[in-house]
Amino acid sequence: MISKEEKFPIAKRYNVADVQVSKEATAVKPVVVANLIKKAKNPVLVTGGVLLREEKLVEIAVKFYEKGIPVIATGGSSKPLIEKGVKPLFKTYTLHQITQFLLDEDFKPNGKSFDVVLFLGFLPYYLSRMLSALKHFSNITTIAIDEFYHPHAKFSFTNLTKDKEMHYAMLEEILSKI
Amino acid sequence: MFEIRKGIFVDDLKNVSIRIGEIAEEEEEWEALGPTPKPGILELREWDHKLLERYEPFYAPMQDFCNLCTMGPCDLSHNKKGACGIDLRTAKARLVTIACCIGASAHTAHARHLVDHLIEEFGEDFAIDLGGDVNVEAPLIRTVVGIKPKTLGDLRKALEWAEKEIVKVLHSTHIGNEESFVDYESKAMHVSMADHVGMEVADIAQIVAFGFPKAKPDTDLVPTGFGIVDTKKPVICVVGHNVMYSRPIIDYLERSGRIDEFEVAGLCCTAHDMTRYRSKAKIFGPISYQLRVIRAGLPDVVVSDEQCIRADLVDACSKMGIPLIATSDAAVRGLPDVSDWKVEDIVEALVSGKLKGVFLPVPEKVGEVAPKVAEEIFKRNKDRKYKFFASDDELKAEIAKCTQCMSCVFTCPHNLRIDIGMAHAQKTGDLSKLAILEEQCLACGKCEQSCPKQIKIVNVIMRSNFEKLYAKTGKTRVGRGPIQDTEIRKVGQPIVFGQIPGVIAAVGCINFPDEMKSIVEILEEFLKRKYIVVTSGCHAMDIGMIKDEEGKTLYEKYPGNFDAGCIVNVGSCVSNAHIAGAAIKIANIFAMRPLRGNYAEIADYILNRVGAVGFSWGPYSHKAASIATGFNRLGVPVVVGPHGTKYRRAYIGKPWKNDKWWVYDVKSGKKTFIEPAPDSLLVAVETKEEAIVQLARLCIRPNDTSMGRQIKLTHYIELSKKYMGDLPDDWHIYVRSEADLPLKMREELLKVLEEQHGWKIDWDKKKIVEGPLRGYDAGFNPTVVEEVFAKYRR
Repeated sequence: MISKEEKFPIAKRYNVADVQVSKEATAVKPVVVANLIKKAKNPVLVTGGVLLREEKLVEIAVKFYEKGIPVIATGGSSKPLIEKGVKPLFKTYTLHQITQFLLDEDFKPNGKSFDVVLFLGFLPYYLSRMLSALKHFSNITTIAIDEFYHPHAKFSFTNLTKDKEMHYAMLEEILSKI
Repeated sequence: MFEIRKGIFVDDLKNVSIRIGEIAEEEEEWEALGPTPKPGILELREWDHKLLERYEPFYAPMQDFCNLCTMGPCDLSHNKKGACGIDLRTAKARLVTIACCIGASAHTAHARHLVDHLIEEFGEDFAIDLGGDVNVEAPLIRTVVGIKPKTLGDLRKALEWAEKEIVKVLHSTHIGNEESFVDYESKAMHVSMADHVGMEVADIAQIVAFGFPKAKPDTDLVPTGFGIVDTKKPVICVVGHNVMYSRPIIDYLERSGRIDEFEVAGLCCTAHDMTRYRSKAKIFGPISYQLRVIRAGLPDVVVSDEQCIRADLVDACSKMGIPLIATSDAAVRGLPDVSDWKVEDIVEALVSGKLKGVFLPVPEKVGEVAPKVAEEIFKRNKDRKYKFFASDDELKAEIAKCTQCMSCVFTCPHNLRIDIGMAHAQKTGDLSKLAILEEQCLACGKCEQSCPKQIKIVNVIMRSNFEKLYAKTGKTRVGRGPIQDTEIRKVGQPIVFGQIPGVIAAVGCINFPDEMKSIVEILEEFLKRKYIVVTSGCHAMDIGMIKDEEGKTLYEKYPGNFDAGCIVNVGSCVSNAHIAGAAIKIANIFAMRPLRGNYAEIADYILNRVGAVGFSWGPYSHKAASIATGFNRLGVPVVVGPHGTKYRRAYIGKPWKNDKWWVYDVKSGKKTFIEPAPDSLLVAVETKEEAIVQLARLCIRPNDTSMGRQIKLTHYIELSKKYMGDLPDDWHIYVRSEADLPLKMREELLKVLEEQHGWKIDWDKKKIVEGPLRGYDAGFNPTVVEEVFAKYRR
């Protein structure tokens, strides 16, 4: 949990009108994310199309992969990742399809169901809908580590839109702790 | 033998009046009647359930509560049930059904307006003649309703069926009805099929009565974009989707010999239909150009009709001193009804400013009033055509108000970084970071609503990129309406066998996730690869604005035929019926499948054989929801842009569940497991790269010949390598024999099949010995409909 004295930006929704009645995401700092990953039985990182225009996110995703976290690449993000040696579990299916698959307990592409899913590099309004589906219809722990606070994730970074450097530093901090 | 039966006998006919209603004529026996003419909710339910078993509905709630009745609001989160017993999944299915009802009602009410008006003007015996090359005039009406319309009066019969079904489905969304989300989806499909019929009625009626192009591939090219009008002339701007009201403007100007003294330009589909009426009309652009055009002060009068028009039009126009004439009862806008006023009085009230706008649902009067008002306003206020701000100082002062609070960023549909653009302009005077936002800005104006300083953000963005915005003009090929039967004869076989790798139908609104040019980049990839590209509505006019380095749009680079490597603009939203119609005609004209009341067989044929994929890069309206769902019921998958996830529902299959993917093979008489082609009926993509690859993969069909599959796989694999960086994840499941493999990559791919997928290869013969899900059989004849299987096994 982020405490006020730590001076993280406030957890402001990526879209002020994307409101639901159920619990909103717990805004978390990097160390919490790292702990969630360490405790996970089968975590996975899902990457999106923003990687095509944000080199730094590619670098981060590569490091996750090198730390042993499998990657599902969507939105064309596989291309820069493959160029840097990543072998994604999937590269053809869209986030929409991957989310539908995740909702099915029989989806075990590496032999087990995923219990913790991290999302990096997505258009916020697209990811928000998928997080909503996973929130209501699955028991998966979803963690949004994009620059936007995602209310429908179980855990989300706070809103870092104004400070990209802080966002990158937080991502690096997760990596340093797993 | 003649026999007198019991009854009432009238001896004396004094004071008896006899009314004869419609004389029921027997339908000409043009084709044997199929199993489902004029279907109700239940007749095609089995077909829907088959589809939904494979393509499982996926829900992504926008709200997890329901407040549709007074027992609520109810918390439905985590699929809880509300007071009425409905759970979240079913509530979302109901909401999608309602959206599809709205979409279907829009097109069908539009059709009703048109048909009733045209029957009054031309009579109900006015013949439906779509030209010598179109004999299957109404494939949807034939297939769904089971009639072959010959006159405007016959179109009414189709409309009556559609209206009845829309009401029935809408009824099912009332509290305390359906409890199965699958059955709601079936109803959504049903009402969306009615939507397709409504669209077909509307477009056929206007083509025949208004003399629009009749399936002509080389229609005129018309100017399109923000900077198209000569500002030295009075400008009449028409906006909406029902050309019936604004068409008389052209008639009046032609009659008075003054057509060249005015500019008549449109926004949204009325623009398309005005150009279909006369190619002297021009196209400003889609819905996202409404505020651009109005706030730039380009029009001297605005004429609105119905659908997808801003709900603050009166406010937007009056702030610019532009009189508004509202014409459709769907959008009266709080304006006084002046139907009974004299033309001179209406003109005087608008020009003097006594009235900001009027409601005038009398087309002939609109035709006279609009030019007269435009002329007077133009004379009085020639310098009103300005660049969003009266001066640079005014623009600078507006930018200076920004405090970078970011309220705008968190209401913008794209989270555009307006704050950065403003801050940069404040510090340096450089507008470039604001200008670049224009390329993606939908001009929805939500940013202004959230701004605590009331900055005119849309104006700031538009002004910052004014020169480029003004230059973003090109040419759109006028909507041609239906596809010719002769064209279908030519391409039917190559489409069904797969030699033409697919038909990409780019349809829908402007909620693009990217700059407008992205739609052109996506479609050109397919045009170069000899797919058939079809388009309509807002997508079609966006294509007409984007030019290449040589200043040419896709319409100028590729022919307008329904053929490989060509781009067809069918016209406005209601013209989408011709795209569905083309798929149906392939089943009918090429494969000789009977249409009359035979929907499931035709949809089954299309699902298994016709590699057509809908593509809505910027879905926005309810109409887009019903259009897409109607295509889905017809067996056509649809790919939507990322905003499409906000429709909350998709149809996505699970390709790894082998038992879900089967057909009956009529030839062998056996149930056969097949490759999952296509594996989704409605799915969203995030980027243009992903859109391209998804569109190519969803063109694959079980019935492809080896040559066809080879061609489709060649494109799919090449595009995946180009945009995803490697072979697709699933290419191997589409391989039935070595003949399916792309020639240039055959050896490489055989090696991958052996090493990575454990297939057995005979390397001497370069043949696959073991591995594929099924082998290729030239006589393979797939269907998922038991009745069709039984019919052709006989």
